[in-house]
Amino acid sequence: MIKIVKRDQPSKAIFFFTPVLAIFLTLIAGGIIFYILGFKPFEALKFFFIVPIADKYGFSELLLKATPLCLIAIGLSFCFKSNNWNIGAEGQLTFGAIVSGGVALLFYDQEGFYILPIVILAGAIGGMIYASIPAILKTYFNTNEILVSLMLVYVSKLILDYLVVGPWSNPEGFNFPETRQFSDSARLPLLFEGLRIHAGIFLALAAVVISWFVFYKTYLGFQMKVSGFSLKTAKYAGYKGKKMIILVFLISGACAGLAGVGEITGPIGQLHREVSPDYGFTAIIVAFLGRLHPVGIIFASLVVAITYLGAETAQIFMQIPKYTGQVFQGMILFFLLASDYLLFFKFKFIGSKK
Amino acid sequence: MNTNLKISNVTKIYPGCVANDNVSLEFNSGKIYALLGENGAGKSTLVKILSGVVIPDEGKIYLNKNILKLNSPSDAKKNDIGMVFQHFNLFETLSVFENLIIDSDEQRENLKEKIDTIMKKYNFSVDLDVPVLNLSAGQKQKVEIIRCLIRSPKVLIMDEPTSVLTEQETSELFLSLKKFSEEGILIIYITHKLKEVMQLCDEVAVMRRGKLVSVSQINNENIESLANKMVGQDLKKIKKKKENTSSEQLIKITNLNFTSEDPFETNLVDINFSLNRGECLGIAGISGNGQSELFQVLSGEIISNKNSIEFNKNFIGNLNPQERREYLMAFSPEDRLEQAAIPQMAIFENVALNNFKSSNFFNNGLINESKIKEHSKKIISEFNVNTDNIDLKSQFLSGGNLQKLIIGRELITSPDLLICFNPTWGLDVGAINYIHETLIKINEQNKSIILISTDTDELLKLSDKISVIHRGKLSKIMNAEDVTSEKLGILMGGGN
Repeated sequence: MIKIVKRDQPSKAIFFFTPVLAIFLTLIAGGIIFYILGFKPFEALKFFFIVPIADKYGFSELLLKATPLCLIAIGLSFCFKSNNWNIGAEGQLTFGAIVSGGVALLFYDQEGFYILPIVILAGAIGGMIYASIPAILKTYFNTNEILVSLMLVYVSKLILDYLVVGPWSNPEGFNFPETRQFSDSARLPLLFEGLRIHAGIFLALAAVVISWFVFYKTYLGFQMKVSGFSLKTAKYAGYKGKKMIILVFLISGACAGLAGVGEITGPIGQLHREVSPDYGFTAIIVAFLGRLHPVGIIFASLVVAITYLGAETAQIFMQIPKYTGQVFQGMILFFLLASDYLLFFKFKFIGSKK
Repeated sequence: MNTNLKISNVTKIYPGCVANDNVSLEFNSGKIYALLGENGAGKSTLVKILSGVVIPDEGKIYLNKNILKLNSPSDAKKNDIGMVFQHFNLFETLSVFENLIIDSDEQRENLKEKIDTIMKKYNFSVDLDVPVLNLSAGQKQKVEIIRCLIRSPKVLIMDEPTSVLTEQETSELFLSLKKFSEEGILIIYITHKLKEVMQLCDEVAVMRRGKLVSVSQINNENIESLANKMVGQDLKKIKKKKENTSSEQLIKITNLNFTSEDPFETNLVDINFSLNRGECLGIAGISGNGQSELFQVLSGEIISNKNSIEFNKNFIGNLNPQERREYLMAFSPEDRLEQAAIPQMAIFENVALNNFKSSNFFNNGLINESKIKEHSKKIISEFNVNTDNIDLKSQFLSGGNLQKLIIGRELITSPDLLICFNPTWGLDVGAINYIHETLIKINEQNKSIILISTDTDELLKLSDKISVIHRGKLSKIMNAEDVTSEKLGILMGGGN
């Protein structure tokens, strides 16, 4: 007989095993879905997960997609670890892109080493401004940050839409909804000739290291951790809980804003309607799949990035709509939440005697 | 028809605490029974057993001579036992009518009729169509009572029903309860308010520390005798030796007020007291009378007027807990697992919660882990915390060890004043003794204590001065030698 018993303490091993289990289950479920759709499951999965990264170009694309995911997820981990449910990273990314894009457009006909740092900084500030809205509303007016941050996503997308169609649209652009191309000085340098992978990846890696350092080595991180576990304890210890909430939102907004900068000054090179294929939302999955741990997030961002690439490959070679990528992302989150059950409960096999 | 409910040798043991120790009681319909006792006396556990929420380790329950199997609340309902909890179990956004029918399988029309009859019969007036959140506490309680009455219960249990009611609502409730009783419903009334027992009940059972102390007719009792039984008088002897306390004032509270926006919190009204070095001020009271708010105001979790708290000749009413620690105050809150410590974090991390500047836990914003660990080891050995692994998550410490760790963390900085709130709540005897000895010891070192506690024995044992908090007001401060348990009991119940 199998009995389900509560675990005393979730072990470290199981903590990192369940994400792997979730990915495995996603593959199985994905295979089944492909089979129902009339494809050979293994072949389809191969097209989805292996073909896209089989060559140098594919690998560069993988890193290109993983960069914003990783950066945003690192920012979100600050919020999520302290129980602040910022789900509007997509909006913060968009707003960061708008602000930095605006700055980049100011310099469209200029060259200079100083331009890129200003553009990057502008993006981070844009993201922070946008994230401060739900944070301030939450701390001073008790609004629910989930709703506010989510709704602001659509607001930012509409602002972007308005700008690229109206005031910021390229005067020589035949009314296409896009701005001028940024000058080369406002573009992130490419790492390799012929590949799209750009220097933004260093921003992501820096964020990983900094977040690890802040969370595990500094008093600030300690205060965030305590405030996340219990606001009552934070109050009792004398920490400034409200400031802590605003701070984590700002960090998270800055990261999302930087991801936006990376997109527009990296592969895109201008502002148009679609600066992000929902990286801000997908990064929520990445953050949880990576267990909110900096190193875990690196791996998770790579795994989830594959679903973006795989969806494109599958669309091209198998005529499956690319939205299957989102199906896979959804399944990963679903199976992760389901297998987290194992964190708190274990199966016990009991002999027939008792 | 007569209803007879019998509890026979019921025992319920929680880890480290015997909640019900071989309790036997018998109730007959036609009378109103009071179950009286302090917080933690075991009343609630007993009632939860009767309503199927808690399953006893031993013992049986009989209804009209038939053995009852109560494995869940629905078993209790099936067996005609109705229960109105202290905190309402209503869906705030649903209408009154929806709340009433929600757990019933009968036809809506039948129920409507039934509810109308009940309301007419007992003169209840509640609008069935408004959402529950618009009702007053008294009306919500009526909804709960009607929900029980729909099932025509044989037994109705009321758990501290008047704690949220106004005087007017209380007397209305008493009238209804008397009417129910006349109609043959057996009523068990749980309370710690002595006046109510005298007013309402026919028989009274007193519990203390999980044991049934006495069962008697109300005619043979008075408020004093009940207070005595409830509090227990025999333990006063082991009071600490009276030292000659200094006359140097350490803390003075002047006209401290706190008004809460939260309807479930108690407002503090004109708190005034002062305390000398080396003294222990005990603050007694039944829980929920403003103790938690008083603790927070004193610790700085709730900030007040700067001049309302004078400590060591500094005005500190506007400082937060961390800043107050620098003036040599220390705090041990009531809730060990949700406030004083974080169970998911390691012992040494919990030690760092008391960030006293000179302990150097954090240098230039960085965690100084070796310093914290060194400090933690010192606390563990000085305060007999039974572990040698400071990387252990604190949830794996027993309540007693965790409390020793917390008290140790607060005391190792040698503060001038320790403010503690129910420091021995839920601990076993050994740990209680250890904490008591520690508290006496720091008094002897000319340091002061404010002890907010719901345990009267503890207060009489440790305090030099005692005051009682009732509905957010402090009684006048009495010398502990002049205080008797009767007097405390009366003050705690709101008497004079």
